[in-house]
Amino acid sequence: MELFIQQLVSGVSIGAIYALLAVGYALVYSVYNFTNWAFDAFMAFGAFMAFVGISSLFMPFWLAMILSILLTILLSVGAESMAYRPLRERKAPRLFMMISAMGVNLAVVNIINLIFGGTFRKFPVESVQPIFVGNVSIGRMDLIAGLISFGVLALLWLFLYRTRWGLGIRASAIDIQTAALMGINNNAVAIIIFVITGVLSAIAGVFYGIKYAVYPMMGIVTIKAMIASIVGGLGSLPAAIVGSMLLGVLETLVSGYISSSYRDLFSFLFLIVILLFFPNGLMGKNVDEKL
Amino acid sequence: MTASNEILSLRNLTVDFGGVRAVNDVSLSLQRGEMVALIGPNGAGKTTIFNLITSAVQPTAGEILLNGKSILRKSPDQICRLGISRTFQNIRLFPQMTAYENVELGLHSTPHYSLAEAFVRTPRARQIENDTRKKALELLEMVNLQEYAHARAASLPYGLQRRLEIARAMATSPQLLLLDEPAAGMNEDECNELIELIRKIHQQMQYTIIIIEHHMAVVMELCRDSRIYVLNLGSLLAVGSPQEIQNNPDVIRAYLGERKNARDFSAS
Repeated sequence: MELFIQQLVSGVSIGAIYALLAVGYALVYSVYNFTNWAFDAFMAFGAFMAFVGISSLFMPFWLAMILSILLTILLSVGAESMAYRPLRERKAPRLFMMISAMGVNLAVVNIINLIFGGTFRKFPVESVQPIFVGNVSIGRMDLIAGLISFGVLALLWLFLYRTRWGLGIRASAIDIQTAALMGINNNAVAIIIFVITGVLSAIAGVFYGIKYAVYPMMGIVTIKAMIASIVGGLGSLPAAIVGSMLLGVLETLVSGYISSSYRDLFSFLFLIVILLFFPNGLMGKNVDEKL
Repeated sequence: MTASNEILSLRNLTVDFGGVRAVNDVSLSLQRGEMVALIGPNGAGKTTIFNLITSAVQPTAGEILLNGKSILRKSPDQICRLGISRTFQNIRLFPQMTAYENVELGLHSTPHYSLAEAFVRTPRARQIENDTRKKALELLEMVNLQEYAHARAASLPYGLQRRLEIARAMATSPQLLLLDEPAAGMNEDECNELIELIRKIHQQMQYTIIIIEHHMAVVMELCRDSRIYVLNLGSLLAVGSPQEIQNNPDVIRAYLGERKNARDFSAS
């Protein structure tokens, strides 16, 4: 029973990290209809910047986190203005946007590789005593990662559903041209979206780095975020979060009770089984009929 | 003095789509507060003219002036802020959003308060939010949709969606309102309600309105004191009062061969 609860908490915390990533993909996809393949490079970049902040600049953890977020925002908005916006303004097909994103990904990952080398690094945080609730031990970092991730997701929800900027973004996600005719500045929407993307990827990168390791290819984990958003139902943010939680818990339970080497096997199996019975994902909706 | 009252001027507009000349040397001038109609057979270039005015399409040649200033190559949101708003031939609401949200979006086209203020909920931000809510409900009331404020736009019946689109277009506080076939698919009763609605907003809000419409009865009624522009194959065929247009031999010829339209003319 203790093991089960421990795995559950750990699963929710890794699920929260998947949720940050899944939401980041969903946000870009919902407005621009292309998968931002550069996202996993942003994540690695965020992790490395926090790593440098702590190990070379001797910053405290929270300061390194802020540094990482700010630099990743710069990278994300930079990629938007240099790699995506010019294509968008020339009305390029979305396939080209995706290829452009892959280019950004390759460039960023390889520059990181060039500077830092491809080795796995342990994220420089002191290991702290887990918290004991009865006989259940809960990792402090799991707790912090989970709380911060949920906090960020809640803020994002408030932003999207309770402010006029959020209204503009939601309108752009439905019909970007009509939104522009209602006075929504498309370029401002793009900058807001890529700022959010930067924040999400940096936080996810740091916590994932703490949980496992920091290395240039660490962004490969975003494949899990893709699975999570498909399981939940593509294009919907709440669905992406639910899918992420399920996947996180499933993975840690498999690691705990079966073997961690079968973890990914079960993740993909989970995806196939869900799609067999729910072709639109668990919470996926059929597109509304018009008129 | 008349020149200063001119709100919109299209000067010798020409648009080529590849080898097709969609609009050919069209000129048009509107005084502030006028309501005119743009009619013509399908494919005459009517909607292209709207797309030109909203900068969705750039002309091959010619000039568009709003209040005496060129609006060529403006972005759509700039066009919106300059005071031009439109509805669409095939409704383009935000279907997953509520009627209220559709209107609210347009009300935000002018920036008022910062993000920090929004999160901290300063009194100013709250005041503006209240004003916005009030204005949105007023607009919905104006088109008789107040009881549907929180219904999703997609769930509204067709006729109400058309009205919601008009309310949404009004939300951006336009000077110039472009209505693209607002009566499409409506029966006679609905058409009459629509005529009343358009008259009401024209008088109350003092908009300048251009209306594209195939229902001749609606056009003749709305423009009985002003002008109708007739487009055919991209060129301006005739301009005149409803009476003049109905008796213009060129116009009758353009519509001829389609007995249905000929009957529409005589019926009105």
